[in-house]
Amino acid sequence: MISALEKQAFDCAPRPDLAIETIGLTFHHGSKLVLDHLDLRVERGGIHALVGANGAGKSTLFRILLGFLPPDAGNSFLLRHDSLHLSIDDRRRVGFVNEEHSLPEWMTIAAVTAMQRRQYCDWNERAFASAIGNYGMLPSQKVGELSRGERAGFNLALALAQSPEILILDEPTLGLDIVAKGAFMESLLYSNATEACTIIYCSHQMEEIERLADNLIILERGRLANISPPDEFRERVSHWVADVPFKGPEAATIPGLLQRHLIDGIHHYLVLDQGEGFAEFLRDAGAGRIRTQRVSLDRAVNAFLARNHAAAGR
Amino acid sequence: MARIHPLTIRIATGDTRPISKQIVDAVRVEIATGALETGAQLPSVRGLAQQLAINPNTVAKAYSELTSAGWLEARQGLGIFVAVQRQRLSPEERDRRLDEAIGRFINDVVALGLPFAEAQDRLAVEMDAVMPRKSA
Repeated sequence: MISALEKQAFDCAPRPDLAIETIGLTFHHGSKLVLDHLDLRVERGGIHALVGANGAGKSTLFRILLGFLPPDAGNSFLLRHDSLHLSIDDRRRVGFVNEEHSLPEWMTIAAVTAMQRRQYCDWNERAFASAIGNYGMLPSQKVGELSRGERAGFNLALALAQSPEILILDEPTLGLDIVAKGAFMESLLYSNATEACTIIYCSHQMEEIERLADNLIILERGRLANISPPDEFRERVSHWVADVPFKGPEAATIPGLLQRHLIDGIHHYLVLDQGEGFAEFLRDAGAGRIRTQRVSLDRAVNAFLARNHAAAGR
Repeated sequence: MARIHPLTIRIATGDTRPISKQIVDAVRVEIATGALETGAQLPSVRGLAQQLAINPNTVAKAYSELTSAGWLEARQGLGIFVAVQRQRLSPEERDRRLDEAIGRFINDVVALGLPFAEAQDRLAVEMDAVMPRKSA
């Protein structure tokens, strides 16, 4: 017989093939529910893009995973270790780059680098040199003198040199110009330090996600709304164009509706998980000519995130 | 040692085709036009990924699709090469697909109201551009 306590411990045992696991993770910010019993399982390896509207709980999730913030309920594990009890050795294996690229402004690049080099026993000088080589920074420059793009690059180079097993990037390219973005992505994708690494990457930029991500994770109001390769998600959304007479069916009755528009008397519907049966639905609603087409990833994700606005107010 | 044949293909984000599909289509056109000849070596997975600024897994997926469809062949430890092209479809299936394509073309072009000769000329020019070339 196993006791209730042991059973609970067993249920919460982290799975070894997962880089990140959360079980019933819940967090309130004041009276607002930020994470709502979130169950998330992210496999090791690959690039995982995390998207969600502002306030979907992405940054909060990262803070809890890293042990900066205790959850109200539930468990979270990073590389099988409970986020609340990460040892120094566990933290060494986690790289984190946030949008602020916060580094001590008064220190020189050389001084910050020397400090990090001392702290991390698996320091990978080659990865550092190769990542920093994409920028024309001088070791004698102070962090405060760097542009936003250079700071981002420096921050990434430091994280890569740590030889992390998991790299968490919270909107790393936010506010960077197109050249700086390109340099950042190049350092990240083609670094020898990331080959065996799991990368979790939070972004609003669908173009980057389409190019980079193996896996698309969508958070919506603190819950998991999708986890699949981006192309599989795109396949779930279809665009239908039909000459349904008058106002067309009530939004609430349209199966899988994400978004709809009435343009020049023709109805456009973006719907989720609808097969040929949707044509049947449109015919029943009085449509004569019905066309369907695929959508871009950008369109699919935007419609999905906006879906709660589709039913309201029309 | 065989030299790697550069691939001058372009991919677009925001397209309704996944990036891996865009690579598959582009490589097939390169092979069909003879720009990529039988036995030519393609860029490595990592190399093409870097060239196109995309995830290497996407390139790997496209290459594996092209390999299993017989367009490319992987030689162990050497790389990816253009395979000897064979007839992939049965004559009936080819006929059926050609009929289908012509049907679509006619439907679209009739609506434009162009003189027959003009449409024919334009088609001939475009077809000529994608047909295999006899190298001189």
